[in-house]
Amino acid sequence: MRLAFIAADDVSFSYDGRNPVISGLDMEIAARGFTAFMGPNGSGKTTIGKLMMGILKPVSGSVLIDGDDTRQLSLGQVGSKIGYLYQNPQFQIFSQTVTEELTFIPRLKGADEDDLMQEAERLIRLLHLEDKKDIPTFNLSYGEKQRLAIAGILACSPRYLILDEPTTGLDMVRKQMLISILKELLGGGIGMTLITHDRGFIENFSGRLLKIEEGRIFEESI
Amino acid sequence: MIKPLEIRGLYFKYIEKGPDIINGIDLNLEKGGILSILGLSGCGKTTLCYCMCGIIPHIYGGIINGEVRIFGKPVEDMKLPTISTRVGIVFQDPDTQLFSPTVEDEIAFGPENLCLDRFQIGQRIDESLKITGMSRYRLSHPEKLSGGEKQLVAIASVLALKPEIIIFDESLSQIDDAGKVRLKETILELKDKGKTIIMVEHDMDNLDIADRVFFMDDGRLKEIDKDRAGDAIGLYSRR
Repeated sequence: MRLAFIAADDVSFSYDGRNPVISGLDMEIAARGFTAFMGPNGSGKTTIGKLMMGILKPVSGSVLIDGDDTRQLSLGQVGSKIGYLYQNPQFQIFSQTVTEELTFIPRLKGADEDDLMQEAERLIRLLHLEDKKDIPTFNLSYGEKQRLAIAGILACSPRYLILDEPTTGLDMVRKQMLISILKELLGGGIGMTLITHDRGFIENFSGRLLKIEEGRIFEESI
Repeated sequence: MIKPLEIRGLYFKYIEKGPDIINGIDLNLEKGGILSILGLSGCGKTTLCYCMCGIIPHIYGGIINGEVRIFGKPVEDMKLPTISTRVGIVFQDPDTQLFSPTVEDEIAFGPENLCLDRFQIGQRIDESLKITGMSRYRLSHPEKLSGGEKQLVAIASVLALKPEIIIFDESLSQIDDAGKVRLKETILELKDKGKTIIMVEHDMDNLDIADRVFFMDDGRLKEIDKDRAGDAIGLYSRR
């Protein structure tokens, strides 16, 4: 049997040690393909995303990424495989300008200076940020920050994406842009999980829909 | 008759040498109406919201020409606490709006600062929590809530102020379908009570309750037919 890329085995999690947010979660996610999580506010979607990324560690049970227990992995190790978009893009933008944001991690990884600048320029064009590339990131609108955060993830060339509400702040045109980008990545073998309320958005993809209702997961096809 | 909000020949830029973010806007809002503003990201919608609720010029400075009047008074002549009794705004990002240790304290903050008595404050907390479906989180820390729940708390805290004008700046974006239905019903009830509502939106599904829809492009507003809003956005994006 082929090993799942992300596997949860009887996972329980609680923020306060008393009230479980997740209990008895079993789930396998393949390295390729599209998965979406939907569910009411507060149903635990973001918590599952953070458990899948190893940002949160299970109280009991285990989450394996590529066969390794997230308790044994540093965020840097997970980050080299999975790109994670926070629900609030402000939490992951820390550089002064758009260009600096997109070159920071590749430079840290020792990428060639010409290559990383070329890749940053490509991502700036891809995410429609050409006229924003030299302005302070603080001055970007929420939608522009969302696009920059997505570009920042792609700059790290992840094998898998976990995107928490990626369409928040995106207008119709930029949603179409994101659909094209994600389809191209899927075609190139990059798998992804989206956490979203935007049913119209995920209907552009085919894959798995995991619906969380009253603490249980129901699977449907999209 | 004095209108809740009047904007005349408004131009605004954040810095002298920067581009005009608001580029000649005239707008009159009637009592008891729902107005939606659409537009591509970065077109100036949030800046316009700031102008309508006094954040510009009272908090964010810049070069401003033209006039914004709230119930007949120029916004620059009004103090921000006075404006906040008449205009409530729910920001795009609830994390910038929530600061209290419990949901109850968060919602009570506005009414307490209006010097309402304890009974009235309690009543407003109860009402706002019921409308937003957040009663069971009354004693929770806002920081421990999910993104959608934070948006609901931010909305509840503005509703508790009972302002005459309410601005929702993409405030329904992270709220689930059931929550959106409940909030849209509330917005229609507020309209029936004579409140003026402004909704900045990307979600076409939320336009169904709007009386008037405007498209914002390059700092200007153009009124459009709400049934053809998608066409308008497509047209502008291809220019």
